[in-house]
Order: sequence, then structure tokens, then C-alpha cells
Amino acid sequence: MEMIDYQDDGLFNSGHVACGGCVEALSLRVILNTVGKDAVAVVPPSCTAVICGGYPMSSVNIPVFHTTLESGAASASGVKRALMAKGKHDTTVLCIAGDGGTYDIGLQALSSAAERNEDILYICFDNEGYMNTGGQKSSSTPLNAATGSTPGGKDTRKKNLIEILAAHRIPYIATASPSHVNDLAAKVEKAKGIRGMKVIIVLIPCLPGWGVADNAAVKTARMGVESGVFPLFEVEDGVTYTMNTDGKSRPVGDYLSLQKRYRHLTDDGVAAIQSEVDQDWQRLQQRVAVG
Amino acid sequence: MSSQPSPLWTHTPSSVRMTGTWRSASPDYRTLPSPCLGACPVDGRIAVWVRQVKEKDYRGAWLTLADNNPFPAIAGRICHHPCESACNRQYLDETVGICSLERFVGDMALAEGWAFDKPDTERSESVAVIGGGPAGLSAAYQLRRRGYQVSLYESKDQLGGLLRYGIPAYRLEKAILDGEIQRILDLGVDVHLNAEVGDADALKALHDKHDAVYLATGASRSKALPGLDYSQPWVMDSADFLAATNAGEECTLGKRIVVIGGGSAAMDVARTARRLGREVTVLSLEPEDQLPAQRVEVDEAMEEDVTFVTGAMMQSAGANGDGLVLNCIKVNFQAGEKRGVFTIDPIDGSEFTLSADAVIPSIGQDADITRWQGVVADDGPVVGTGSDWQTATPGVFAGGDLASMDRFVTQAIGMGKQAAVEIARYIGSGEDRDTFPELTIVPYKAISSDYYPDVARHVPANTDVAGRLENFNEVQQRLEHTDALAEAERCFSCGTCIFCDNCYLYCPDMAITKLENGYEVKSDYCKGCGLCVAECPTGSVMMYEEG
Ligand SMILES: Cc1cc2nc3c(=O)[nH]c(=O)nc-3n(C[C@H](O)[C@H](O)[C@H](O)COP(=O)(O)OP(=O)(O)OC[C@H]3O[C@@H](n4cnc5c(N)ncnc54)[C@H](O)[C@@H]3O)c2cc1C
Ligand SMILES: Cc1ncc(C[n+]2csc(CCOP(=O)(O)OP(=O)(O)O)c2C)c(N)n1
Ligand code: SF4
Ligand code: SF4
Ligand code: SF4
Ligand SMILES: [Mg+2]
Repeated sequence: MEMIDYQDDGLFNSGHVACGGCVEALSLRVILNTVGKDAVAVVPPSCTAVICGGYPMSSVNIPVFHTTLESGAASASGVKRALMAKGKHDTTVLCIAGDGGTYDIGLQALSSAAERNEDILYICFDNEGYMNTGGQKSSSTPLNAATGSTPGGKDTRKKNLIEILAAHRIPYIATASPSHVNDLAAKVEKAKGIRGMKVIIVLIPCLPGWGVADNAAVKTARMGVESGVFPLFEVEDGVTYTMNTDGKSRPVGDYLSLQKRYRHLTDDGVAAIQSEVDQDWQRLQQRVAVG
Repeated sequence: MSSQPSPLWTHTPSSVRMTGTWRSASPDYRTLPSPCLGACPVDGRIAVWVRQVKEKDYRGAWLTLADNNPFPAIAGRICHHPCESACNRQYLDETVGICSLERFVGDMALAEGWAFDKPDTERSESVAVIGGGPAGLSAAYQLRRRGYQVSLYESKDQLGGLLRYGIPAYRLEKAILDGEIQRILDLGVDVHLNAEVGDADALKALHDKHDAVYLATGASRSKALPGLDYSQPWVMDSADFLAATNAGEECTLGKRIVVIGGGSAAMDVARTARRLGREVTVLSLEPEDQLPAQRVEVDEAMEEDVTFVTGAMMQSAGANGDGLVLNCIKVNFQAGEKRGVFTIDPIDGSEFTLSADAVIPSIGQDADITRWQGVVADDGPVVGTGSDWQTATPGVFAGGDLASMDRFVTQAIGMGKQAAVEIARYIGSGEDRDTFPELTIVPYKAISSDYYPDVARHVPANTDVAGRLENFNEVQQRLEHTDALAEAERCFSCGTCIFCDNCYLYCPDMAITKLENGYEVKSDYCKGCGLCVAECPTGSVMMYEEG
């Protein structure tokens, strides 16, 4: 059994208001404690914004700047430049946004920051929907998943943000999962040491949004990784792809069956997702082979 | 006068908010018995010692084993291992090879010469143990560890009981037996060999002399096969046959031997006879798929060219020229409710004969309890006792094959230990019994099996069939060191925390505190999500309703 080896230095406090069992809070715990004290976070509206704040309380022991949903990456760029101007070159600026604030509403700001290769570490907590507002679809919502605004299941596929980001040729892009804590911490640590724009997309199975049991978000994320739905990999300079797990070891059904948002699926629906995952996996392996 | 404007930034940590009020159930750390422990006749703390093997703390593993059983090298060879049938790992892939791991540790202890610690304090009270088989030796060991004086009376000239005179050397090497017995004697036991305690009077005399007596004389009387004339030179009882061979005496029986019986003892007789160069046929009432012997024993006997004639019965036997003819008939065998209870129905017209030179009946042993008449209740097939192993006479305890129909070595060892605890309590030690309520055994669903990739069981090798019949060397080999470590890794450590920190690190609410030697739930913050429980690889933390 692999032991988890990150250390908790107390950068994230108890008493926050994430749902019980939320792995967004868990991931925040890992990321904050890995980045350390010398950091500033910029957070657009999202579950993370709720978890961090609730004026006058804070669950996070570093400064947090709450910005607008459109402008996460732009605000983070500004904060970083201001710190540079004050001579604080080593302070890490984290932008922590949801998928709505990343794939959709904040995409323009993200693309511009990437194009300018701003020295920020951008974390996207990808719970595949607008969750703190009650669970509407985003462009990150996957094929066939039911949301408040797609009750019969979404009929388009999940936007491939990695490919969009890779096209910007930024130094570092990675996927990560709360089921693979050592890998998540290692990626944050690695990104912290890289100058320029870094993006880590973390899969966040949302308890109410996905219909996952209170104790099952880590397991769901693990099934997502092991079934190849959410492969763990890194892209360096937009071209060099590296896989971080051995392979795809189970059918997508093991992942889907833990979530109520897929409960309307027929066998054909599952097969459609399996075939999409198989094709994406193959394409990813081709990229890995070239890099 | 204007009041201070309130600051724009947050200034209070969220920890003032008591999210513990959201909770309806709470995780709790409890050390619960694993299913293997529940099934083990000696109450072996398997989850604990296997984990010590994982950590390469072999001496620690041996000490844990020896708490309940001074014979791990023996049990690791010949225990019927009900632990493995109960093991949670079977629901993932295959059961953990507990028995072969036990042998690995037991053999290492003998090779390294590890000894038992002497008792902390010597006590003046003394106990007479009658019978030097596994039950008597286990009781003697447990009593000595508690500081009681022990006098051991054995009718034969060596200790071991059926371990020495029944079980053949190719399953249990004598050096192993000697080594594990000597280690007990080194604790200081007053041993009397060739000292048969012949009758109830002799027993009473010992009872007068000692504070308590433990009777463990086994089941020494062979059941007689009807229709067989035991006075013939070509008939030899299985117990006598095995005892003679185990003592190295020459076998005078003829070339073709028919063994009657389908149990473990019959397999031992058959395979022993094969090693003595005889042709062997096993004749059993039961059809092959219902033989009472363990399947592996039957398979190994078949590998050694033992012929099986099953579902049949001998009706008579008589001289026929130089040899014998056995008149047999096929039967319909109907197993009854209990082991050993059955009905048979001969099939008309299915008569057949077997030619042979000798017959060895091996149909079971009865306890000789008539000799203890007046001291113990003797109306059953075994000596009657209470659940405290005490007989009708206060201070006289009994166990092993003499007092139970659970005729297995580790059952005898377990009974010896339980009796030692009861004897100590009787004498006045105030010691507690260790009991595990059956209900709380860790279920498979409490194990987060995602942490355990499928790994095939590591099975120790057997010696080549070709070489086996040339000597009495052990057939089953020890696990290689690396295989033993890999096999130990397969254990889920059910109900025994391995301090992996998963529960602590996976908590999204920082509601678990690490203590010096464990963990504690902060009830102020725990929201009761159960993530710690779901991600515990050992089932050591579970959700309980509060209140
Ligand atoms: C051939 C054979 C193979 C077996 N194989 C296995 C196996 O593989 N695995 C397994 O678990 N079990 C096996 N068993 C069963 C197992 O051996 C017994 O259940 C176990 O030995 C019982 O232990 P015990 O101490 O009660 O009796 P015993 O082992 O019978 O020991 C009793 C001792 O008391 C002594 N004694 C008897 N009467 C007196 C007296 N009046 N005074 C003083 N001493 C006396 C005897 O000499 C003997 O040493 C086998 C049995 C047989 C017959
Ligand atoms: C421009 C704009 N539109 C809508 C909102 C309302 N709003 C606040 S948070 C949010 C959802 C954000 O979703 P996501 O970024 O995925 O974060 P999550 O809640 O899922 O963590 C929305 C729609 C807003 N704040 N600004
Ligand atoms: S709504 Fe989903 S992502 Fe948001 S706090 Fe609850 S479980 Fe976490
Ligand atoms: S996995 Fe280990 S502790 Fe659990 S039942 Fe099997 S041997 Fe015992
Ligand atoms: S998760 Fe690990 S540390 Fe926590 S109770 Fe289970 S075994 Fe012990
Ligand atoms: Mg979202």
C-alpha cells in the first residue's frame, strides 16, 4: 500500500462550510499545505470562494483576494505583478477557480494570461458544473451527465481544456485527483518551482451535484482515474505529454455507477461513454508517444 | 465622533464555527477481531503478527504467535487452518496463506533459537498435567508462563502424543516437534515419562497432591471394525501401525495393504505404507467427493499412487492361498447431520473382491474414559465438562481429544490454553477470560479493497512426487523469504490499525488529531461524512450512531 506523504502545516482551518465529505476542501487542504505560507490566493465566485470565506471568517491562513467570475486569471496576473513591484518575487500567486470560472466565464482572461505566460499557478477545481449556484451545466459537464439545466443528460461532450491550454504552449499543465494525493502534492510542488503560467485541473466529484454518497468522493475520483475517464498526466511546454498512472484498468461503469447524474443511462448510453473514453485515451497515448 | 469603519478583510479563523453540529453519526476507532481470529482455535492474533512479518519484525511476530500457541512451526505444518476459510481476502481474490506464514515464523524461531521468557514471579501452587500431547503441553506452557509449578505425567517414553506417534514425519519432522517441546520444558516443567496414571485412584492421589489437575490423555482407543478378526497377524490397527513406524520399528506386514477408512488418519496410514514400499488401496464407505480427509491429503495420496476404492464396504476377509481375499460390496452412503454420523445401504449384486496381504483398519479413535470412573462424568463419548473445562470433580479439568469431538491439534492447543486460564482462575489468580463477541468481527465491506491490487496467493512448493516415496522427508516446503513477505502484504490487517494516516489525511475538515499512538476525532468539527471510514484500508475506524 502506498502511504500518503504530505504534511499538514495547518494552513487550512476547520469550521469551513464545504459539504461534509467534500474533496474540494480536501484538495484545498493538500494544495495550501504544499504551497506553504508565502502565497496569495485569488478566488472568483465558486464553492472555493464559499469555503474560503464567509466574512468576517476565513478558513485559509494566507491572504485571499475575492474577484469576479470573469476575471480570475487577470486578477491573479495583477496581484503577481504588484508583488513583483514590491520586490516579493518568490511569493506564489494561486488562482483557484471552478470549471464555470475557467472553461466558460473566465476563459478569455485565462487565455490572455496564458498567452502572456504570467507567473501564476492556476488551479481549476473541476466539478463539471456550476455547483454552488445549484448545479447547472457548464462546458465542462460531460456527455450524458444530468444537471439542473440538462435534466435528461447533456448531449454534447466535455470541452477539452487541456488541448486549448496546450495550444498556448505554456510551461506546465497537469491533471490531478484527490484520490491520488501524493501525485497532486508532487504536481503542486513541481509547478511552484516553474516560472510562467502553470495550470492544474483537479477532478472534484461533487456530492450533491453528481449525486455521490457523502463518503464516496475519493472513491469516485479514484474510479475516474482508473477507468481512464480522467487520466492523470502532465503536458510540458504544450507538447511533451507524460502519463502518471499505469493505464486504464477498469470499465467506465465502475465510475458511472457511483453517481446519480448518470442513473438514467441505458446500456447504450454507457457504451457511448466507454467508446468516447477509449478514443480519447488512444489519442492521449499518441501524444505521449510523440512527446 | 465617527465610529471605526469595520475592516474589509476577514479577521477571524473559521475554526470558531462548530461544524460538528451537522453530524448524525460519528467515526470511532475500535480494535475489532478479524474473521481469521474468530475462526482460529487458539485465538491467534493473525492480523497483528502478519503485520509484524510485513514490518520484518519476525521475533515480534513469533512472540505474538506464542502468546496463544507455543507450537507455530507445528501448527504452520499441520493445522487444518479454519482461519483461511474465514479470511476476508477470499472476497477479493484468494485467502491469505496464513498457515504457511505461521510455519515461516515458527521455523525462523527454531533456527534462531529464540526462547520463552521465564515467568516474572514464581508461584507456589502446582498443577498436575496428565498426558503430554498438544493439549497437555499447551496447558503446561500457559501455566508455567503464569508462574505455576507444573508436573507432567506421560505414559510413553517421549512427549508429543499424536504429534509424535500419529502424524508421520513427512508431514511433521521430528526435529521440529522436539524443538518446540524443548522450548516449553526449558521454562522448567517437572516431567515424568513412562508414568501412566492408570486409574481413578491414581488420579485422586494426584489431585490430593496438587492444587488442580488437567486431564489430557487423548482418544487412545481405536474403534473396532465389525467382522474383522483383530487377532490375525495380517490385521494391524492404524494407531499401532503409525506408532511403530514413527518409532522406527520394522514393518512386518505383507506387500499389498488395504487401508479401511477415508479420514486423515487413513491417508497417513496409506502414504506411510507407500513409503515402506507397499502397494496400497484405500477402501472407504464415502464416495470420493465426501471423503472426510482434507482434499489436499487425498490428492497427495493419489499422486503417490495410492489406489482408492470408494463408496464400498468390506463384509468379510479370509485367507486365500498366500494372501487374503476381502469380500466387499458397493454401498449408497448418506451423510447425516453431524460429522461422523451416516447411514449406508449396500447395493444388491454389486459384490466384488480385493486381494491383499494385510488390512489396516483406520476408522477413528474413542476416548478411554471408563478408567476415570467416579471422578468425571463418563456417560458420553468424551469426558463431560462445563464451558470452563472443569469436570464433575472441582479442580479436575479436562481437554483435548479426551473431552471434545473437535479432533484437531490446534483445537487441543486452544483447549489447553483455555483450561490453563480457568485453572489459574480456580486457584485464584483473578485473571480475565479473553472473549470476542462474534457480532463485532470486521466484515469485508469495512475494508477499502481499492488499496489492494489483485495478487495471487504464494503457495509453498511440494517436493517432487518421484523422490517422495524414498524417505520420510517433509513433502511441503517452507515459503521462500521473499514470498513470505509478499504473502504477508496480501493481508488486510482486518480491524488492526496500521497507522497509515489515511483517516487523518483524507479528512476535509481537519477533524482528526494524531496522537502518540493513535487518532482522535474532534467532535467540534467532524461533519460525519465517513470519508475516513471509507478510505481506511483495515476497517479500524467505523461509523457509529451517536447517543
Ligand atoms: C494419524 C493422525 C493424524 C492426525 N493428523 C492431524 C492433522 O494433520 N492436523 C490436526 O489438526 N489434527 C490431526 N490429528 C488429530 C490430532 O492429532 C489430535 O486431535 C490431537 O493430537 C489431540 O491432542 P491431545 O493432547 O488431546 O491428545 P494426544 O495427542 O492423543 O495426547 C495424549 C497424550 O496422553 C498420553 N496418555 C494417554 N493416557 C495416559 C495416561 N493414562 N497417563 C499418562 N499419559 C497418558 C498419551 O501417551 C499421549 O501422549 C491426527 C490424528 C491422527 C490419529
Ligand atoms: C458573470 C457572472 N455570472 C454569474 C455569476 C453567478 N455565479 C456565481 S458562482 C457561479 C457558478 C460558478 O461555477 P464554477 O466556476 O464551476 O464553480 P463551482 O460553484 O462549481 O465551484 C455562478 C454562475 C457571477 N458571479 N458572475
Ligand atoms: S457543492 Fe460540491 S464542490 Fe461544493 S462544497 Fe459541496 S460537495 Fe464540495
Ligand atoms: S486479510 Fe488478514 S486479517 Fe483479514 S481475515 Fe485474512 S488473514 Fe485475517
Ligand atoms: S485509515 Fe489507516 S490510520 Fe486510520 S484507522 Fe485505518 S488503518 Fe488506522
Ligand atoms: Mg464547478
